[in-house]
Amino acid sequence: MKEIPIILDGDPGHDDAIAWVLANASPLLDIRACTSVCGNQTIEKTSYNAMRVMKLVNLTVPFAIGRRKPLLSDPIIAPNVHGESGLDGPALPEPAITPEPMDAVDLMAKILQESTDPITLVPTGPLTNIGALLLLYPELKPKIARISLMGGGINYGNWTPAAEFNILVDPEAADTVFRSGVPITMAGLDVTEKALIFPEDFERIRALNNPVATVVAEWLDFFYQFHRSKGYEGAPIHDAIAVTALIKPEILTMKDYYVLVETAGDYCRGMTIADRFGVLQQPANATVILGIDRQAFVDLVVEAVAYYGEGAR
Amino acid sequence: MSQIPLIFDCDTGVDDAIAIMLLNKLPQFKLLALTTVAGNVELEKTTNNTLRVLELIGADVPVYRGAAKPIFREHVSAVYVHGENGLGGIELPQSNQAIPGVNAWDYIFQEAVKWQGELEIIAVGPLTNLGLAFIKYKQLPDLIKRIVIMGGSASLGNITPAAEFNIYVDPEAADIVFCSGVPAYMCGLDMTMKAYLTAEEMAQVGALGSKPAKFFQDVVQGPLNFYHSLGLPGMSLHDPAAVLYANDPTNFETHPVGIRVETKGQHSLGRTVTDLYSDAQWEKNAYIITDIDRKKFFERVLDLMSQY
Repeated sequence: MKEIPIILDGDPGHDDAIAWVLANASPLLDIRACTSVCGNQTIEKTSYNAMRVMKLVNLTVPFAIGRRKPLLSDPIIAPNVHGESGLDGPALPEPAITPEPMDAVDLMAKILQESTDPITLVPTGPLTNIGALLLLYPELKPKIARISLMGGGINYGNWTPAAEFNILVDPEAADTVFRSGVPITMAGLDVTEKALIFPEDFERIRALNNPVATVVAEWLDFFYQFHRSKGYEGAPIHDAIAVTALIKPEILTMKDYYVLVETAGDYCRGMTIADRFGVLQQPANATVILGIDRQAFVDLVVEAVAYYGEGAR
Repeated sequence: MSQIPLIFDCDTGVDDAIAIMLLNKLPQFKLLALTTVAGNVELEKTTNNTLRVLELIGADVPVYRGAAKPIFREHVSAVYVHGENGLGGIELPQSNQAIPGVNAWDYIFQEAVKWQGELEIIAVGPLTNLGLAFIKYKQLPDLIKRIVIMGGSASLGNITPAAEFNIYVDPEAADIVFCSGVPAYMCGLDMTMKAYLTAEEMAQVGALGSKPAKFFQDVVQGPLNFYHSLGLPGMSLHDPAAVLYANDPTNFETHPVGIRVETKGQHSLGRTVTDLYSDAQWEKNAYIITDIDRKKFFERVLDLMSQY
């Protein structure tokens, strides 16, 4: 039974795309809508990629496009990681859906309003849409069961020494999210840098030999090029952990912390700061994922990709 | 054996006091002087505590008074760890030692000139004295061989979630030091939180029986309670860990990194932002010490204290 209703919000992106492949294959998740956000690439490119990924996995739920830029900042994009298209590598099918004639935030609000059950939001890009949703529709907070996000890191950053990319791109949105009071699960660099798929695992996926498997293996080939050049043993599938937290939490280790987002500073803008020793005496606002059983994670991804060979959905 | 000329800059403080006792038994260093700064407690107390510890161990080392407040900010103390007097309420006998009329930052420069580039500094309090010295003497960076710092952290904070106490108290001074061009070795919380001694190990030191050893065990009791209240297994000997690192880096892990100090953030003021691997690829201006062999550290502390 699909017991967890979710909305996928991302900036695909190789690891977003794999996160969506994973979510769509899960018998636990009831995907109510997908939305795009600017991040890894411009909003035009991430939206186009999102719709292509939806076609690839035959996901036909409502889709809406997010705004052109973060709440306050100018966009930052990551072509060095994801390529000029934002999802370089294998050829993908053209989109088969038309975006809803409304902003991503309004689609999220509509889905939440119409749902009888609270819905979990799964943002895997900058938190622009989620921040805007909380600012524009504060009355819908009780309809949000949880925000399971990929972003931040309580030990270090990646785009800058202090900040992880998704939070750095829109720190004000992230600050809004972390101060919202909505339960948060944070898949940050602390865990996602350990969520490595090794080159030998790529071959397990490729050998599944279904249309999705071939594409996922080639995404991994592309995504790993950048990371290999930086000395990684495999490709870190950051965004997939925000989904894993919902469908297989038992392979993760987590700890509750009060987490702050820095929006100012010369060097620390976009940093997520955890109050490890409780010096601020605030109740925890986030469940921070710190560790992962890597092999179990790889098996989960392989199983998800195998699902597409059975012609389901 | 040629000794390394050394100035120890401190804000004594419980763990500073222990660091001084260890330093006094390290013949590799020629300890020129101790310089004091406002930090754990106010300057008059840190200076007085420094003199009293020297008196306790019978060390004949000059003490120079340094800055009474951070360069741009008001002073913040850490009485919640070190107690009102800075030594956990332990009253050591007064010292009659006179304090020269030269400021710490001027004294540091004089010695740097005299030792022609061989001078090393271990700084275990806020970095105000060194910051002022670099502001005043533009040629100073070429005259100091290295600075070993207890302060900061790549990953943790203690006075705030993001910042370590010494750097938080005077972040501008710290940034001046890290950007000075002098090789800076950051013994931050990443390593020093692992350099703890348990109550049992503290008792083993006390059981050595000398006056300094008994003082060691007595003075740590307040902070030990504080660390236990955080759920930690023992009291971190931050400053002693920096001293023993400066003496011999063998049982530690060191990496070259880029470090800058945040002086403006809302939540991150005083963060030593450390580029271990980011895409930004900062210039490597410092070394971070990330790990320590705790067992060997304790053995070394015990060995040095047994020499009293």
